[in-house]
Amino acid sequence: MTDIPVLADLNLAWTWPVVGLGLGATLLLVADLFIPRDRKQQTAWLALAILLVSFLLNLAAFPVVDSAFFGMFVVDPFSAFLNLIALTTAFISILLSVDYLQRSGMQRGEFYALILFTTAGVMLMGHANDLVVVFVSLELLSIPLYILAAFRYPDVKSSESGMKYLVLGAFASAFFVFGAALIYGATGSTSLPHIFEVVARGFAAGGAPELLLLVGTGLVLVGLGFKVAVVPFHMWTPDVYEGAPTPVTAFMSVGAKVGGFAALLRILVFALPVLSTGAVEASAWQQVVSLIAAATLILGNVVAIAQQNVKRLLAYSSIAHAGYIMMALAAAGHAGFGEQATRAALVYMLAYMFTNLGAFAVAIAIEKGDGSGSDLEQFVGLGRSRPLLAGIMAFFMLSLTGIPLTAGFIGKWLIFQVTIEAGLVPLAILGVLTSVVSAYYYIGIIVRMFLREGEGDPAAGGTGLVNGAVYLTFAGTLLPGIFPYLMTDLTRVVSTTPVGG
Amino acid sequence: MLQTEAYVMLSMVLFVLGAMGVMLRRNAILVFMSVELMLNAANLALVAFARQWGNSDGHLFVFFVITVAAAEVAVGLALIVAIFRTRRNINIDELNQLQG
Amino acid sequence: MIELNAQTIAFAILSVLVLGGGLGVVTTRNLVHGALWLVLSLLGVAGYFVLLSAPFLAAVQVLVYIGAIAILIVFAVMLTRSMTSLGEVRNRQWWLSAITVILLFLLLAVGIILPVWGRGAPGEVTSLSATVGGAVELGEALVAGDGFVLPFEVASILLTAAMIGAIVVARDEEDEGA
Repeated sequence: MTDIPVLADLNLAWTWPVVGLGLGATLLLVADLFIPRDRKQQTAWLALAILLVSFLLNLAAFPVVDSAFFGMFVVDPFSAFLNLIALTTAFISILLSVDYLQRSGMQRGEFYALILFTTAGVMLMGHANDLVVVFVSLELLSIPLYILAAFRYPDVKSSESGMKYLVLGAFASAFFVFGAALIYGATGSTSLPHIFEVVARGFAAGGAPELLLLVGTGLVLVGLGFKVAVVPFHMWTPDVYEGAPTPVTAFMSVGAKVGGFAALLRILVFALPVLSTGAVEASAWQQVVSLIAAATLILGNVVAIAQQNVKRLLAYSSIAHAGYIMMALAAAGHAGFGEQATRAALVYMLAYMFTNLGAFAVAIAIEKGDGSGSDLEQFVGLGRSRPLLAGIMAFFMLSLTGIPLTAGFIGKWLIFQVTIEAGLVPLAILGVLTSVVSAYYYIGIIVRMFLREGEGDPAAGGTGLVNGAVYLTFAGTLLPGIFPYLMTDLTRVVSTTPVGG
Repeated sequence: MLQTEAYVMLSMVLFVLGAMGVMLRRNAILVFMSVELMLNAANLALVAFARQWGNSDGHLFVFFVITVAAAEVAVGLALIVAIFRTRRNINIDELNQLQG
Repeated sequence: MIELNAQTIAFAILSVLVLGGGLGVVTTRNLVHGALWLVLSLLGVAGYFVLLSAPFLAAVQVLVYIGAIAILIVFAVMLTRSMTSLGEVRNRQWWLSAITVILLFLLLAVGIILPVWGRGAPGEVTSLSATVGGAVELGEALVAGDGFVLPFEVASILLTAAMIGAIVVARDEEDEGA
């Protein structure tokens, strides 16, 4: 009666980047048992090797469009591009972690396995083609992060950061599930291509969309808004970022956001582009997304000015950057701009990934072993004691501001361009203005490093691996800044047509 | 036969009740219980809609929600124990090592 | 409109259980009582699942939610020994939270009650009780063609990660003698 599926039915061929990573993480847990306690770095090397294999497999899968697991798993350039970001983030975060864990006495093999698990979650968010899969991946992304945030035992700050993240994360998940339930109630399916069809059929028939669907979409937006930390769902960010171990913060600030935006783009742009209240031009969610983007840009950039701790500053900066990506999402709500805006968001996320991880790498280089020393004052005099490190940090700050010749500029340029073309001129102007505001606090760090006298050598944690990560992210920020096609060409094949069913 | 609307309305009330608990209470464990109420409200809506549409997607979603809730609670309990070992209270507001 | 039969009466009783339990959780001053109120509410939801012809989920609800999750919460309460008489019930910004909750309620009320209300027209809901919900159907849906294999696998990885993580967080470093 029931057909028991065989392995061939699952069409696994192109899923290996993710499947292999999950498998690798599980095997790493086993391998870790045989690695002696004083040589846990070996677990890290293994984890890096697993990431590298997954990265290469993913490159091979890049232009493929296919679906697997009975249509629940999409393979397309969109997800492949996000995989590149997720895997690089994990790779750099592990480079940053090895010596950091060693000197703060929390070297544990499980750390690396958990990083791999959460990375698999991020990648699955991009591949998900069903609300159930989005939900389960969201949790696979979140739960290991709760633990990683609390990893610095017995530091209360770290445990509380994990607890706070867990409680708010669970709250957000509840919103997501209730929203998904309403979408299911309105369309009768959890499969994204099916939802797309039902909504498109309803739109073609000329009827207004069901309120149930609108409210459901709104609740999903709230749930994912918590994950990507946009205003007004950002309250947890600074506390959690400050309390978590710095390499974990670095991962969180990129990985969790990339995963959240992957799901937002999949649900809003791929599945619900024609969810409209009668005006044909724009999706019903566009206005809400625009408002969120505007509030996020203003609050993130303005509050960042007052911060005295580099981790809190980068937390608010990451909120602000989520605002720029929301701008792209708002533009994607305009009929015909979905693909261009999605590409802009992808390029922006890649540029943000390199720059932000680089800034965190420098922050780790100057942090002390007990987790203190992340005050902005630590940067004073860095230009004299470590001119190279300070110079690179200055470059990262310029890229976060969006100055030409940096990757950050390319990302912002594309986003402003698509926002203006989609007719959201006020939002684009706000984006430019808040970028100018952001220059104030980013350049404040440069001023501290070069123009003020300091004493001593603050860069205690600048070990070989951390420096390696700094150079890697520097290359990733500089090269696309000079040769933009390095990033934009990769996104050229991205399309927002729903795949399979 | 009771209609879907009755169940969905009830689940909505339960959801808002849970949200109220999360936002108004300070104790981490109570906040956690309120989140469970919200998840149950979502489950109820899912099952009601599953009956409405006559397919099993909703039931399977509930299945996964329950699984995930169990995982979350396990991690939450571990964190609560870890915090309590170093500090003797678990009020959300008083997690003030992190000013907020 | 609403006819008085066994189902309606059961629904009414269960509603009292679920909402009463929920209200108990939200207002209690005693954590142990809160956990008991939660169990009551969860039990009510299991009863709804029976009414909604999903007997297997009702069993899972009782086993996992009440048997495992609620008990874990009770453990948490006892381990932290902060069970009785919470000093302060509300948090500091309670008025802000209250406004948010009221807004949420209004939004949901408009968005859910209006569209769902029209649905219950007779004739539209003919095949209700014939829907799937038994263990066999769910098991098949998990693995059979067009089934939920992927979330099933992801959930198993998730449980592994959560278990490892919970052990890492909760174990006592000093006991290891390392």
